[in-house]
Formats: sequence, structure tokens, C-alpha cells
Amino acid sequence: MTKHIVPLPEQHWLRRLQRSVRHGDKPWQAIIIAMSVLVMLLMIAIGWMLWRESADARAAFGWGFLTPSLDTRWDPVNDKFEAWPFIYGTLLTALAAIVLAIPISLGIAIFMSELCPDWLRMPLNWLVELLAAIPSVVYGLWGIFVFLPAVVTPVGEALFETLGKAPVLSILFTGPIPPSGASRLGAAFILTIMIIPTITAVTRDVLLSIPPSQREASLALGATQWETIWQVLLPYGLSGILGAVILGLGRALGETMAVTMVIGNSIEGSPSLLRPGYTMASVIANEFAEAVTKLHTQALVEIGLVLFFMTLLLNMVARLLVWRVARRTPQEARA
Amino acid sequence: MTRFVRPVFFVLVALSFLLAACGGTPATPVTVVETQVVEKVVTATLDASMPELPAGSVQINGAGATFPLPVYTEWTYAYSYVDPAVVINYQGIGSGGGKKAIVDGTVDFAGSDSLLKDEEYTSGKDLQMYPMLAGAVVVIYNFAPAKEYPADFKAPKLILDRQTLVDIYNAKVTKWNDPAIVALNPDLADYLPAETITAVHRSDGSGTTEIFTKALTAFSADWTAGGASSIEWPVDKAGNGVGGKGNAGVAASVINTPNSLGYVELSYAVSNNLAFADLINKAGQKVTANADSVASAMADFSSAFSDKLTATIVDGEGAGSYPIVGYTYIILHTTSMTDCVKAEKLLNFLQWALTDPSATSRAGALGYSVLPDAVREQVFAKFGEVTCNGAPVLK
Repeated sequence: MTKHIVPLPEQHWLRRLQRSVRHGDKPWQAIIIAMSVLVMLLMIAIGWMLWRESADARAAFGWGFLTPSLDTRWDPVNDKFEAWPFIYGTLLTALAAIVLAIPISLGIAIFMSELCPDWLRMPLNWLVELLAAIPSVVYGLWGIFVFLPAVVTPVGEALFETLGKAPVLSILFTGPIPPSGASRLGAAFILTIMIIPTITAVTRDVLLSIPPSQREASLALGATQWETIWQVLLPYGLSGILGAVILGLGRALGETMAVTMVIGNSIEGSPSLLRPGYTMASVIANEFAEAVTKLHTQALVEIGLVLFFMTLLLNMVARLLVWRVARRTPQEARA
Repeated sequence: MTRFVRPVFFVLVALSFLLAACGGTPATPVTVVETQVVEKVVTATLDASMPELPAGSVQINGAGATFPLPVYTEWTYAYSYVDPAVVINYQGIGSGGGKKAIVDGTVDFAGSDSLLKDEEYTSGKDLQMYPMLAGAVVVIYNFAPAKEYPADFKAPKLILDRQTLVDIYNAKVTKWNDPAIVALNPDLADYLPAETITAVHRSDGSGTTEIFTKALTAFSADWTAGGASSIEWPVDKAGNGVGGKGNAGVAASVINTPNSLGYVELSYAVSNNLAFADLINKAGQKVTANADSVASAMADFSSAFSDKLTATIVDGEGAGSYPIVGYTYIILHTTSMTDCVKAEKLLNFLQWALTDPSATSRAGALGYSVLPDAVREQVFAKFGEVTCNGAPVLK
């Protein structure tokens, strides 16, 4: 029995419909485009709202709102607002946290991908992921009651005794640290713990995705395992690792609750890590609900605007950095 | 065969999706049922407040200060047994948020520890504040004795006077063994350490801070930082200040910081068994913060209400008056409420809260003080002025 297939004419409407919805390509494309446009609209809407709602504060304070100074005012009673202590607190704690977290996270990630015995890999993996899942307010509580008095205060005192006397570094390590440990150092430590899982997890995945041929080639050339890791694997995965660090930095900049609970929330002139400070996210969370005057509210919104632009700028710089690194690494690295 | 089947199948699938998407058409029985259910729900919420449907439940929404939140929560819960037809929902979003909400008309009533500003009265048109409760703010402290207490020595409570408290938060008195503190506490003289006082304050904007700083303003002309829900702390500038988030944050900082002091609500100190200092009041008497000393402070100012029914009651003259006390208020629209059943239910609830013995005892148990009769009468008189669509709400 022979089959007689009668093809429909090419321009038949059924054929056209069939072509356009085959595998759902067209509708799928439309949905995807709509979603990405939505993200852009969202960003624009947030930025525009922050800009508009801070109009009076921007007009009243101008660039003086942002200028660095050791003697700034944040006086809701007399409507005098300057944001430098908050900007400084955010930058200092986030950078300190990143500096502390990079070696620790890289160490954990290298151990997990290169050196870890199989039976340990799974539990370690779980623990790192668990660390990421703990709510920040729990970190804050633990910080106040356990971590600050037990770790931060003694470490801070030791730093004050040593680096506090060093010529240039003393600016960052003048003390004394408050006995409770509530300080920028405490915030930086808590942030370090909070961003370690982020950086570790991404870095580990990056290292694991490096083709075994790279390791084998390096070892075959006579390199030790250390040389292989340091001179082959890390440069190979550098763009991915940078991405992980940027993710961590983003979290450190925006973290609110845990930092508020341990940083001491005090606007003092000292630029030291060992003294209480304040961050942008903390002051918004602390004061927005009870901000009474219009200018106070607007000043807080303007701080939000600064934080928004700072994050935006950071992401752009990060993207540039990753591009440049990716261009230098061999073709395979980008695959 | 497949070449025919596939396009046809596609069209069928597409059609069924289209039909599902245009579910509004009452073609299928399922959709009709859904529509009916939705209509029913909408009817219940919209028409419940209409006079002909008094049996339906009335939803009253409030928002604002967190200071009285524990009491309001208990009251609204208890009131659901008094009048099951009323559902009252109060959200503790902060006094500032509550005032914004009532000005914008998004809530039926607001709670606030701070007073409305003139421009808020203007933009809110017919707002009125009513005092509901009073609370005290106490100074909690933690110093490490300079030498160990003898076995039979029971450390007395710390005593501070008004000027010393101002000086501590101005960072003028910075050591525990400052002569001013030693002179006030002769029994503790040998034990007060030569250590720096860390002064803890609230980092979040708060009615507690407003009461405390208004008291400091009244205590001494030396206090120039003003009285508000968040201020610029002189003690921070001096490097001896720390901010804690919420009562719990302040208490935790004081407990964890040797040689510190801070301020929290009386109700918080009572429920957490924190030791707090006695104060020397304006009349020169030593007073402990409790229901009696707060009531005495309210009585001192019972005739001091402005025509807006607001009063600052810090630093009272009475011999038994505790000096750091403040009212927490309810804010209502007095003439523009259009839903008369809701307005009446709301006022009935507020009257019940201020008079019913079970309501007042609940407040007392939580460390708040209820209004003395002289004040309550003024509040009730103002309740009587509330109108709905031109007619008084309370007959």
C-alpha cells in the first residue's frame, strides 16, 4: 500500500501558521523580549522615583551632601544633612569584608575542587550553602551576643596595640574599640562571613568547570599541584572568580540588618575601623519609618539614590574588568 | 499522514489556549461559578458597612506607632469578643508612617507618639489627636564595680538627677566616678569605677527617643540637640555614644558593654527584668518609674492641654512625678468620615479601651499607664465632636 502525500501549497495559511509557531519560536521570543524589557523598565522606574523623591534635598544641599569631611552634620531637628559618614561606612566595611573574604573563599573553593577527599566534599558543600541560607538578622543577633564580645573586641584591641601605633595605618586603627565590640570592624567581620558562601560557591563552580586537560597538561610539564593551581587554574578561571567577588561586594554594599545590629550606628568623626560607624543602608532602615520632616525623608531617599548609583557604577566597572580579563585569556576560557 | 496531522493538532492546541485565555466569556460552566464567587466576596466587603447590613463585619484599619503596639494588639484581640462584628487591624509601621497614612486617608485611624506638624494639620484638613496611654522611659545601666561588693552588701539602685543625665548625654560627665554621680550615690561611692561611660541611644527613629530628648530639653538649657524622634547625639561626636536598634538593641548593647547606660521604655525594662535608675525630679524628690509616678506626671499636666488636645508631660512639678513621660496618641479625621457605621464602631472601640476595666488592666500589666479621669473626660468630650456626613457620630 502506497501513501499519497499531498503537500499543501507553500502560501497556504496553515503552512504559514505552522512555520511561525513551529517549536514555539515566535511566541517564546515575544515573551523573552517582554521580560527583558520589564527588567529595564524596572531599573528606570526605581532610578526615576529616587531622583524625583529627593528633589528638595538635592536642591537644598547640592554636592555638599556628598563631600568628604571629618565634621559632618546629620541633624533631623534642624534639617541639616550630609551623607559622607554613611558613604564612608558603607565603602570601608564592604571593602574590608572583600579583602578578608577573598583569600578565605578562594582557599575553601580550591580545597573543595582540587584537594578535598570525596567523602568530605558533600558535607562541606552543604555547610557552605547553609551559611548562605541563614537570614541576616540571625547573623546580627549572633553578632551582638556572641561574636562581637568574644572575637571582635579582643581582635580590635590587638589591632589597636599593634597597627594603631604604625605610621600610616594608624588612621584606620586608632582606638580603642568599644568594649561591646560594636564597630566598623565588627560589621566588616560579619559581612565577611556573609559573603564567603557567595564567593566560595561561584569560585568552586568556576574551578570545577575548567577542563581536566589543563590540569593534565600542567602536571605533565612537571608542575607541582601548587604551581598548577596558582599558575594555570586561577588565571584560567580569573574572569569567573572576579564575577564571584563582584557578587560578594554587591551583597556587602547592600546588607542592612546584620550591619545595623553590629556597627554601633554612631556618626563620629573618626575614620577608624575600630570605632562605631554607620552605613547608608542602615540609616535608611533606621530612620525612614519615623522621618518626620520632608527634608529628612528626602535626604534618606537621596542616600538611597547614591547607593543605587554606586551599585550601578560598581557593576559597570566589574563588567569592564571581566571583559578585559576574558579577552586576555585563551579562547577556551570564554567557552 | 503526519504532515496533515501536525498543523491540525497545532491549531487545536492554539484554539484551546485562546479559549482558556479569553476565560471571561461565560461559555463554560466553570467560569460562571468563578464569577459568582468573586461577586459574593466583593459584595461582602463593600456593602457590609451600609446601614441595611449591620450584621456584616466591619473592617477598621489603623497604623502607626510601635510604642503602644503591644497594648493595641491585646485590645483589638479582646474587643473581637466584645463586638464580634468589628475587625480592627493595627500595623506598627512607626509614628511617621502612621501620620502619613492618616493624612493620605489610607487608614481609618493612626497611632503616633509625636505630634502632628502644622503643615500636616493643613494637608490632613480635619485631623485630631487624642491621648490614649502614657508611658515612661527609664535609664538602664551596667557598670563593673571598681572593687568587689562585700558578701552582705546589696547594691542599691543607681540614682541620677536631671542635670547629670543631660551632662552624660552631652559627654560632659564621662566617668562613672564623676563627682556629680558620686554625690548622688553615696552608698555606691567606693564602687563606681573610673571608667568611661558609654551612652547608648536608639539608632532607629522612635517615639521613645522623642520622649527622652524632650525631657532632656526640659531638664536643662545645656541640652541644645533638641527633642525629636531621631537627633544628632552630642555624645556620638565625642566618641562615647553607640546606637542600638529598637529597645532590644539598646538593652543588648548596655548588657554587653561594661560601664554603659541607655534608655528604654519602662514596659520593656519591666518585662525583661532590667535594672533601671531612679531619678531626682523637679521637686527634688527621688522617684522610681511606675504606674503611680507616671499617673502623677499626667495629673500635673491635666489642664495643660492645647486646643488640639496635645500636651508635653515631661518634667512635671509634682513631688511624685516621674520626669521622662509621654503620651501616645490616636489620630482621627473628625468631619470627613463618610462611613458612619464604621466611624461609630471605631469610637465605641476607643471608648471601651479607655474605660473598660479589663482593657485598662491589660494596659497596666504591660507597663503602660492609663489616662486619669480628668484627662479622659477631655478626650471623651472631643470624641463627641466627631461628625459623619454632618451628624454627630455618638448620640
